[in-house]
Amino acid sequence: MDTAQKNGKSDEILLEVRGLKKHFPIQSGFLRRVTGYVKAVDGIDFYIKKGETLGLVGESGCGKSTTGRTILRLLDPTAGEIIFDDPNIGKVDLAKLNRAQLKRVRPNMQIIFQDPFSSLNPRLTVGQIVGEPLEIQKVASGQALKDRVAELLQEVGIRPENMTRYPHAFSGGQRQRIGIARALALNPKLIVCDEPVSALDVSIQAQVLNLLEDLQEKYDLTYLFIAHDLSVVEHISDRVAVMYVGYIVEMASTEQLYYHPKHPYTEALLAAIPKPDPRKRTRPIKLPGDVPSPANPPSGCYFHPRCRYAEEICKVERPPLRDIGGEHWVACHFAEKLQLQGVTPLNEIPLVELPKRQATAPATTAAAT
Amino acid sequence: MTNVATGAGTATTGAQIVSEDDVVRVEDLRLSFYTTLGVVRALNGVSFNIPRGKVLGVVGESGCGKSQTGLSIMQLTPGRIEGGRILFREFNTSEEIDIVKLDKNGPEMRKIRGNHISMIFQEPMTSLNPCYTVGHQIEEAILLHQTQDKAEARRRAVDILRKVGMPNPERIADSYPHQLSGGMRQRAMIAMALSCNPTLLIADEPTTALDVTTEAQILDLMRELQHEIGTSIMFITHNMGVVAQMCDEVAVMYLGRIIERAAVDDIFYNPKHPYTISLLRSIPRLGVARGQKLESIKGTVPDPYSTVPGCPFHPRCPAAIPGLCDAVMPDEVFVDGSRTHTVRCHLYT
Ligand SMILES: Nc1ncnc2c1ncn2[C@@H]1O[C@H](COP(=O)(O)OP(=O)(O)OP(=O)(O)O)[C@@H](O)[C@H]1O
Ligand SMILES: Nc1ncnc2c1ncn2[C@@H]1O[C@H](COP(=O)(O)OP(=O)(O)O)[C@@H](O)[C@H]1O
Ligand code: SF4
Ligand code: SF4
Ligand SMILES: [Mg+2]
Ligand SMILES: [Mg+2]
Repeated sequence: MDTAQKNGKSDEILLEVRGLKKHFPIQSGFLRRVTGYVKAVDGIDFYIKKGETLGLVGESGCGKSTTGRTILRLLDPTAGEIIFDDPNIGKVDLAKLNRAQLKRVRPNMQIIFQDPFSSLNPRLTVGQIVGEPLEIQKVASGQALKDRVAELLQEVGIRPENMTRYPHAFSGGQRQRIGIARALALNPKLIVCDEPVSALDVSIQAQVLNLLEDLQEKYDLTYLFIAHDLSVVEHISDRVAVMYVGYIVEMASTEQLYYHPKHPYTEALLAAIPKPDPRKRTRPIKLPGDVPSPANPPSGCYFHPRCRYAEEICKVERPPLRDIGGEHWVACHFAEKLQLQGVTPLNEIPLVELPKRQATAPATTAAAT
Repeated sequence: MTNVATGAGTATTGAQIVSEDDVVRVEDLRLSFYTTLGVVRALNGVSFNIPRGKVLGVVGESGCGKSQTGLSIMQLTPGRIEGGRILFREFNTSEEIDIVKLDKNGPEMRKIRGNHISMIFQEPMTSLNPCYTVGHQIEEAILLHQTQDKAEARRRAVDILRKVGMPNPERIADSYPHQLSGGMRQRAMIAMALSCNPTLLIADEPTTALDVTTEAQILDLMRELQHEIGTSIMFITHNMGVVAQMCDEVAVMYLGRIIERAAVDDIFYNPKHPYTISLLRSIPRLGVARGQKLESIKGTVPDPYSTVPGCPFHPRCPAAIPGLCDAVMPDEVFVDGSRTHTVRCHLYT
């Protein structure tokens, strides 16, 4: 099934990232001299098409959030290009824009954060939180502002009467909805969702994922969806990119990546997913050692000290990310040769129907006890 | 006895699964917090058993009382236990001890805690002391309960670190917790918890903060050790995937009660309670219904200061029976003919 066609998604590219790097200086000693760099993002290439969701996965510290923040210029890139197709001014390299120029592009790019408890200013009312971007960009004021805020809250399933309440009065899921309303305020094209459902309970997680999908359809939004739950990413993404120590090692359509992975690291990640089926117990692929520090990565292929398929060349030569056909991008010397294991669909567990409501309720409550 | 939490119905346990070989049997446990904002009824009659050598998964949304149940067994809860029994039987004895009756800080409880029952947490630094090396802390635990011989304690500490898959156990033993990665700290904590071959291990979301790769390895490790030592595990989590991979039996909690209890296969292939069914329908499954909406449970868990009359799930339940579910608390009953599957729902009474 071609999801790109099914959802009417185009082949036009909204955002293209080339050779993006973000290095953080390590300062030490009394003079705070720079003694090295944390190479959080170390030369990555990817693109996102209009109206699609690109999932971004990888272990903690591999540079997912740094990537998300750098493409929005919340962090300044060390090197590389971030080419964004702005609806008003056309293609621009965000990496080269100054503050004033950025201000014109900003409304089209927003972010939703993981932690619904610390990402909203506790001293502002819900109305102020959602209305703030509209005021800053001088889009609306007075009654028009209020109306727009009410509309946005309605859109995410929060009653507009709650406009005057403060964030602490809301549950995690509701706060995440408020964060989404704020991100939507300026009609953005691209939203970076940085672990938007990781802190939520399963039942609330489903509500928020559905909301994000509805909004995408309605407003033709494009998402960069960062998450570590690979089942959630599979559900929501059209394509998926896998990061390892500041580098994208594989990028493909969701089906390709999950069922026909071509990179040994992807294979190990997929094997580790805790599958909600007690009849399919899987044992993880042994990954010796730890994720290397991005301040001091290994030589050659960064994955080689943990890779069970590594050969001599892997220690010396870093494999570039290349298209092995059908927009399947892999950074492994042996991508074509290896026979790797993907996941198997979990369609054997029955989706149990909810019991039907009884036609007639017992006449008296006493009947039950 | 009056049932303060529901205001209606009695909460006598109609059906409780028990086995000959239970290491712990919790009966009608009630726990409250008295706060300036009001009373929180955290546990409203929790009953369950854990058979020897088995892994019981305890699942439910945050705030439903999973951690407080575990902490009550350790007598470490900051709340007030208002009723119920926690019967504990250590390895190779037939004697049952009611933990609720013991003095929290008395010698008997201290002997049970950390020796016969250990607990591990989501955040390893809650049980590792940053000022001492990992090896030192494990040795202390061994010296306290097992042997007086320092060299022997050291040998055993290194041994257990090797068992939990540490690459270089001698070096790790001499490391301080902050020198280890998250996954290694979690392993160190497991090593410490298992150093005394406990009868029962209470694991409170031990992998929630870890990456899937590390999580999978820790789960694998816990399974292996559990087989080897014969420890029973109470495994608290909110991740249904982890439950399916790790547990033999499952107790599903909602608002301070167990609402369904069964073997892991029945929970996934033959769930009965509308909450369990809805939970399972709302998790994304690999390769299933991609591009379709997930099903979700409407509404949220009510706030802990309020009390819900009748079945606590009725405001969110798609199968609720008006006039009954909103008024009468359902009893726990066996599912048709089974002696291993219980549910607390009017649809089955
Ligand atoms: N401001 C900073 N200064 C120095 N190092 C940083 C800074 N921000 C991030 N890093 C480092 O950059 C690397 C990538 O961090 P990042 O937050 O992007 O990871 P992530 O993939 O989002 O991880 P997680 O899954 O834990 O959110 C890490 O090693 C992190 O410690
Ligand atoms: N120290 C405390 N004071 C007041 N209420 C508490 C305290 N600790 C826990 N609770 C309440 O007890 C209930 C159960 O909490 P907990 O066992 O931590 O849930 P879980 O582990 O399932 O997320 C919740 O309603 C919580 O708000
Ligand atoms: S390049 Fe070599 S070390 Fe890297 S993933 Fe491929 S086989 Fe493994
Ligand atoms: S008792 Fe009623 S409200 Fe409660 S779960 Fe069963 S059907 Fe739903
Ligand atoms: Mg992050
Ligand atoms: Mg808890």
